[in-house]
Amino acid sequence: MGLFILRRLGVMILTAICLTFIVFWLTNLFPKLEVLAKTQGNFRMSDEAVVSYLDNRGYMQALPVKYGQWLGVVPGYVIEGSDGEVRAKCERNAAPTEDTPTFCGVIQGDWGFSTVAKEDVANVLPTRLGNTGKLMFWVLVVMVPGALIIGVLAGMREGSRTDRSLSTVSIIATATPEYVSGVILIALFATPLFGMQYFKGTATSAMDDITFGNFFLPVMTIAIYGMGYIARMTRASMTEVMTAQYVRTARLKGVSFPNIVMKHALRNALIAPFTVIMLQVPWLLNGVVIVETLFNYKGFGWELVRAASNNDIEMLLGVSVISVIVVLMTQLISDIGYVFLNPRIRIS
Amino acid sequence: MTNKTLTGAPLHSAVGIYVKDANAGKLSRREFMARTTALGVTSAAAYGLLGLTQPAAAAGHAQQGGTMRMQMEVRALKDPRAFDWTQMAYVTAGWLEYLVEYNSDGSFEPMLLSGWEVNDDATTYTLSIRQGVTWNNGDAFTAEDVARVITDWCDSEAEGNSMAGRMSALVDADTGKAIEGGIEVVDASTVRLNLPLSDITLIAGMSDYPAAVYHSSIDRENPANTPVGTGPYMIESNEVGVKAVLVRNEGFEWWGYAEGKGAYLDRIEYIDYGTDPSAWVAAAAADEVDMTFETVGDFVNVFETIGYERSEVPSGATIVIRPNQAAEVNGIKPYADVRVRKAIAMAVNNEVCLELGYANQGIVARNQHVGPMHPEYADVAGTPFDPEGALALLTEAGMQDFEMEISSIDDDWRKNTTDAVAAQLRDAGFNVKRTIIPGSTFWNDWTDYPFSSTNWNHRPLGTQVLGLAYRTGEAWNEFAFSNAEFDALLDEANAIADADARREVMVKIQQILVDEAVTILPYWRTIYRHAKPGFVGWEMHIAYLPQIYKIGIAA
Repeated sequence: MGLFILRRLGVMILTAICLTFIVFWLTNLFPKLEVLAKTQGNFRMSDEAVVSYLDNRGYMQALPVKYGQWLGVVPGYVIEGSDGEVRAKCERNAAPTEDTPTFCGVIQGDWGFSTVAKEDVANVLPTRLGNTGKLMFWVLVVMVPGALIIGVLAGMREGSRTDRSLSTVSIIATATPEYVSGVILIALFATPLFGMQYFKGTATSAMDDITFGNFFLPVMTIAIYGMGYIARMTRASMTEVMTAQYVRTARLKGVSFPNIVMKHALRNALIAPFTVIMLQVPWLLNGVVIVETLFNYKGFGWELVRAASNNDIEMLLGVSVISVIVVLMTQLISDIGYVFLNPRIRIS
Repeated sequence: MTNKTLTGAPLHSAVGIYVKDANAGKLSRREFMARTTALGVTSAAAYGLLGLTQPAAAAGHAQQGGTMRMQMEVRALKDPRAFDWTQMAYVTAGWLEYLVEYNSDGSFEPMLLSGWEVNDDATTYTLSIRQGVTWNNGDAFTAEDVARVITDWCDSEAEGNSMAGRMSALVDADTGKAIEGGIEVVDASTVRLNLPLSDITLIAGMSDYPAAVYHSSIDRENPANTPVGTGPYMIESNEVGVKAVLVRNEGFEWWGYAEGKGAYLDRIEYIDYGTDPSAWVAAAAADEVDMTFETVGDFVNVFETIGYERSEVPSGATIVIRPNQAAEVNGIKPYADVRVRKAIAMAVNNEVCLELGYANQGIVARNQHVGPMHPEYADVAGTPFDPEGALALLTEAGMQDFEMEISSIDDDWRKNTTDAVAAQLRDAGFNVKRTIIPGSTFWNDWTDYPFSSTNWNHRPLGTQVLGLAYRTGEAWNEFAFSNAEFDALLDEANAIADADARREVMVKIQQILVDEAVTILPYWRTIYRHAKPGFVGWEMHIAYLPQIYKIGIAA
């Protein structure tokens, strides 16, 4: 088990390095740097000004050098600019002092500086992650029990009226993307159009203070989409278990139906949905992009979009590292979780 | 009223002519205000010269205190000289103020200056610094500060510094810095600007939003880090893309309180709801904001249905859809031929562009980039709408089979207007391809697209945009328009303080723009803002200037 986790950690670090290098390479292509210079300098800046801007701030160095600086294995640049000012990477482009460290990279615990937020990535990301975390928590609270109940109810008696109606509902839910259901929900429940203005069509105020009114619609928008999917998985797994030999034996022995479902079928039926639920966590992290943008809730997905559109290099790298960690961690948890759900599986 | 001018000096020689013209109906009130106040006449006296009394400021009915929440994009701050979005100035306006204030009625009012005098040929400007102003760190505000900031403005080497363009008369072409002896500190309260050539746009340039006056300790990467200024508010938080909060700077005696200038609110919050107007409506319906920064297109009516009040002002904000004369497409320069450009202008009906592109919320323009809101506007006929003649002209130029590619950004009104132009060209029988470029990359080569659209904001004087965008070799000259006669006429116009005499030159300038068919400029936009009932002083500003100290809650 220990070795397994160690190996997984190794894979995680390797993946993170590969992924960040790709992100780094793409964000450092010259046209992207031009975007960066123009958003930071002036939208209507001349080409010469763009080059001098990039030169003075170390963006024109060789790619491996820049990547090494970000990682913290190459000393941070100190450049005397064409405007006579000296800028050091480790001083956030201010003049270096005696205390300026030579290295400032991820290895040293310095995640870099967000050019858009004008703040350290390490200050911004936790806030965004916290916001998305709250959203994810409430989505999981609504989605998982709801989906499991629907799935189990539908799968208990395959082909019954309950099964067919619940299946239809979950198929519709899965087939409706968030940008459709979100807009419909806002139109129905957050505008005076239909006289049902019970909730708020924006979750901006939820960043400070979550209330039922401002958080219900974003949570439901994501939950409805995910719920249908998990419910379908649970149903499939449940129907399979209900036809298994041991369940039939139990029924022939006269065990009551609720007892069969609760004590014999459920645990085995939960193996497949468990994987799906764990897969939903990294999906939630990046997949909330649409909902966070729609409801103006400034979380991780929103930050990803903002960093990408402004070519905020160090922020994007931070987002990538965290995404890799979350994806691989949830994989690890689901692998370990299997062992407890199905003792026949051994991880060595 | 004892003094008619800000400094107590006699009236400028041109003022008498303006009064005569205004009474004869040759000058609109806004033109009159802009001309006379730019020459140092107080706005009350300017109204008086017309036999009117100055309208009472609505802010007189505001109560002290309260909070205002505005929907606005919260952008990262930078060196004020390089501001390219007014939204940035709305945040810094809490503590950074301006020398001169431009108002929607066309007048210029002194702020950190107490007045100015301009000599007859507009080559010497004498600026009087307001007495009794202090920085919020306790330093006195002096003539040295003003001279330092103006010197900074003239530094055309500084990346993104657009003030250098506004101060171009003071910039030495060789060094890219302020000319020797151009900025002269006469005494503690007077700065004199000695210009080598006449320039009447200088005071107007000082009122624009990148012209904030900052302390020498400013952090140019992020001014919010060192919020030293002369204004009544202090920044509490500035989270880019999320929210910025200004609070009253307690314990600081702002000079404006004594002048009865306002700063009524205790707290101003700017909340970012992104760029989608439907999200702004959702925010308003959820009572999370009190007013919008700007309302565009169909949303003007939507806000009214939820009970918001409307403020509108016809402005010089506009769009140009222009062919680039130097652009090369497949080895030829299609738009270098004046017949091709003329054909394009003839094929487009500007009224249709206004209707389809901006929901008729504005007035039709004549492709001249000078409009009736400018003091020196001359009534020069535009290009006639004649699609058949256009095709004939295009055929004559041998370009009837050439495929024109028209690009635009992917937003609402700019995209729609460009669509309307493309559709009309197709109707006239032109071969047109339409390309839409996402906002994140559009500005990368905005001056180089062969045929594309760009928006321009209102400027107080007609010659300002012409100098910024149409003069040979200017950085923002997206038309690649180069015409020696035009450049010479523009210099001539900028040397004439008397706007009537200037209009005679403007006739020629505007005629050149029509004859050369430099651009399609279909309409002047009326701009809108909406607010929840109960606020005063929040009206939309003609040039989006951040006059937040005027906003208050109605008493």
